[in-house]
Amino acid sequence: MAKDIKDLGWNELIPGAALFSFTEPVEDVAEVPMDERPYAPTNSHEYSVGDWRVEKPVFNRDYCIDCQFCWVFCPDMSILSRDKKMIGVIYDHCKGCGICVEVCPTNPKSLLMFPEHMDNDEALSKWPSKEEKKK
Amino acid sequence: MAKKYELNEVEVWDGNMAAAQALRQAQVDVVAAYPITPSTPIVQNYSQFLADGYVDGDFIMVESEHSAMSGCVAASAAGARAATATSSQGFALMVEVLYQASGMRLPIVLTVVNRALAAPLNVNGDHSDMYLGRDAGWINLCSYNPQEAYDLTLMAFKIGEDLDVRLPVMVHQDGFLCSHTAQNVRPLQDEVATEFVGEYKPVNSMLDVSNPVTHGVQTEEDWHFEHKARQHNDLMNSKKVIKRVFEEFKDLTGREYDFVYKYKMDDADIAIFALGTTVESAQVAADKMREEGIKAGVVSLRVLRPFPFEEVQDAFSNIKAVAVMDRSAPGGTFGALFNEISAAMLAAGKSPIILNYIYGLGGRDTTIEHLVDIYRQLDECAKAGERKYPLQQFIGLRGPKLSFY
Amino acid sequence: MLEIRWHSRAGQGAVTGAKGLADVVANTGKFVQAFAFYGSAKRGAAMTAYNRVDDKPILNHEKFMRPDYVLVIDPGLTYTADITANEKEDTKYIITTHLSKEELINAQPKLKGKEVYVVDCMQISLDTIGRAIPNTPMLGALMKVSGMFDLDYFQNAMKKVLSKFPQKIIDANMAAIERAYNEVK
Repeated sequence: MAKDIKDLGWNELIPGAALFSFTEPVEDVAEVPMDERPYAPTNSHEYSVGDWRVEKPVFNRDYCIDCQFCWVFCPDMSILSRDKKMIGVIYDHCKGCGICVEVCPTNPKSLLMFPEHMDNDEALSKWPSKEEKKK
Repeated sequence: MAKKYELNEVEVWDGNMAAAQALRQAQVDVVAAYPITPSTPIVQNYSQFLADGYVDGDFIMVESEHSAMSGCVAASAAGARAATATSSQGFALMVEVLYQASGMRLPIVLTVVNRALAAPLNVNGDHSDMYLGRDAGWINLCSYNPQEAYDLTLMAFKIGEDLDVRLPVMVHQDGFLCSHTAQNVRPLQDEVATEFVGEYKPVNSMLDVSNPVTHGVQTEEDWHFEHKARQHNDLMNSKKVIKRVFEEFKDLTGREYDFVYKYKMDDADIAIFALGTTVESAQVAADKMREEGIKAGVVSLRVLRPFPFEEVQDAFSNIKAVAVMDRSAPGGTFGALFNEISAAMLAAGKSPIILNYIYGLGGRDTTIEHLVDIYRQLDECAKAGERKYPLQQFIGLRGPKLSFY
Repeated sequence: MLEIRWHSRAGQGAVTGAKGLADVVANTGKFVQAFAFYGSAKRGAAMTAYNRVDDKPILNHEKFMRPDYVLVIDPGLTYTADITANEKEDTKYIITTHLSKEELINAQPKLKGKEVYVVDCMQISLDTIGRAIPNTPMLGALMKVSGMFDLDYFQNAMKKVLSKFPQKIIDANMAAIERAYNEVK
C-alpha cells in the first residue's frame, strides 16, 4: 500500500507540488461513474468532511423534478446525479451548508435540513405537505 | 512550419537581437510580454519574427510584467515552451511570480537586461534587478557580451527543461553596454540551433485531459518545507546538467563555458572579481598591469545560481588580494558578491585580502583607468601583506571619497 | 584599435550609421563594436554614437573614448556640442556644414590647427534621399578621408546592409555615399 502523503519525505513528493486527480490516466472521464474512477490519495474525493455537519440535507424523490439546481449550486460536489436524474447526497463530502435546500424550487422542497442524528426514514416521514399560496 | 532565417557566418548584433534570435531558434511557443527599456527589443524582435513567419508560436500582449510572468507560468503549466524578457522596475513587478514559477518547477526562460532600480528613475545598466531576484530559486546565467547572451539563451532552454532539472532560467546581460552594443556574433544556423535545444517535453501538463492535474496548490506547515527542500536540492544538483550542456555546446561550436570564468589566473597574485561587461574591460586592465610585471587576473561567475562554491574556492587558490566588485547599491551592508566570495574563502581556510568595490550604479562609466586603480590598490596590499584600504569603497563617484570599515 | 565618435541628433541615423559601418567592417573579418549614449533621448536631442574596430576581439566596454575620428552629422552641433572632448593630437574631424573649411574654422575657432574635413551631408541627403538623414553620406566621406575601403567595395557592402529596404531607397543611399565621397574636402 502506498504511503500516506503525510508520511512522504521531501525526496518523495512530486516536484512543483503538482497534484494529480487520478492514480492513472482516465479516458473520457465524464463517462466514467464516480465510484469507478481511480482517485489519487491526494484528491479531495478521498478526504471526508462529513463530520463537519450539524444538520444534514435529506433528499425526497417524491417531489424532485430533476432540475439539477442542487447539483449546480453545491460547493462541494456532494450531489450525486446520473443522466440528469437526481440520486441523492454524498454524505462523505457534504458539509451541511444548506445551499441545496435554499435553491430547490419544488413545493414542498425535495431537499430539507434535518438534525444530523435523525434517521433518513424518520426524516422522510416528517416531510411537510404542499404549502398553499397565500391569497 | 516556420521559415528558415538567412544568417551570415558573422552577424553584427547587439545583445537584444542576439537574445531574440535565440528565442526564435528555440521556437518558443508562448511569449507573454510587457515592454520596458532596455529589454524591449528582445520581445519586439520576437514578435516581428512571429509576424514574418520565422517562428511558430503565440505572442501575448499583457498589461504588466506581473501578468507577463503569470502568462508564462500558465503557458508552461499547460505544456508549452515559454519565455519573456524584462528589466529593472518590470523585473521588480515580476518578482512575486518568479517565486511561483520556480516553486511550480516550470522551465521558463527569462532574458534579463540588467538596469538600475528607481528611485531616482534611471534606464541605464547596473545589477540591482539581478540581485533582487537572486533568491527566487531560478538558475541564473551571466553573459558579458552579445555572443554569450545568444549562446546562454539557447543553453538556458536545454538546462531548465532537462527532466532532472525542471527549473526556470534567467540569462543576464548588461543594459546598453551589452543590450545596445552591436558586436560580432557567430550564430548557429536555424536547424542546428533548433536541434541543439531539442523538442519541448511537457511534464504534468494541464492540457492532458485524461490525467487532470492541479498546479499552484496550497501547502501549509505540513508539506511546504519538504517542497522547498526538494526545490533547493534540485537547484543545487542542476550543476550536473549545466556542465553537460556546456560540454555539448562546446562540441557543437567550440565555444567554451564553465561555472567560473577565469582570465590569466594560473599565476595571478591579484584579481578582480566582477559580473557583466566589466569582466571583459577588466581583462584589458589586467593586461596593462602585466605589461608592468604585475600578475593580475580576472574571475567571474558564469553561473550565479546555483552558486559554484567549490569552483570559486579553486579559482582563488593562490591569490593574495581580491577586489570583489558589486554593481548594486548594497543597502546597508557589503555587496552580496563580496559576502559570498568571502564565505567561500573562509570555508576553504584561505584568507586573501578581500576588498569590496561598489561601482557603475545607474550606468556610471567604469573605465579602464578605474580598473587599473583597483589593481594598484590590490598590488599595494599584496606586496605589504596587509590591507591598506577600507573594506568597502565607492569608485567613479563624485564628491568626497566614500568608504566604510 | 580604431575608434570613432559620432555627434548627431536623435533621429538623424547615427546609431544606424554606426551599426551599418560595423556590419561592413565585420564582413572583412575584423572585430567591431557599435553603441550609443541614450539619455531620455527624444528626437532632436543631441546624442553620441561610437564605433570601435580592431583585429582582435574587443573586450573594452568603457564608454570613455579617445577618438581617431569625430563625425559630426548635424551642422549645429559643431557649436553646441563638445565635439573636441577627449581628442588626441591626430584626431580627424569630418563635419557636416554648408560652409567652406576656412569659414567653419573662423566660426568655430577651437577647430583651428586640427585636421578638419567638411562635407554638406544635409544637402546631399536632401538632394538624393529626399530627407535629412545625413548618416550614409557621412560614411561615404569617412571612406574617402580614412581610405578604409574603396568606394565600389563600400557601396556593394552597404547594398547588403540595406537589402531590406526598397530598391529606390538603396539607390538613393548609393548616390548619397558617392557624392559625399567626391565632395568631402
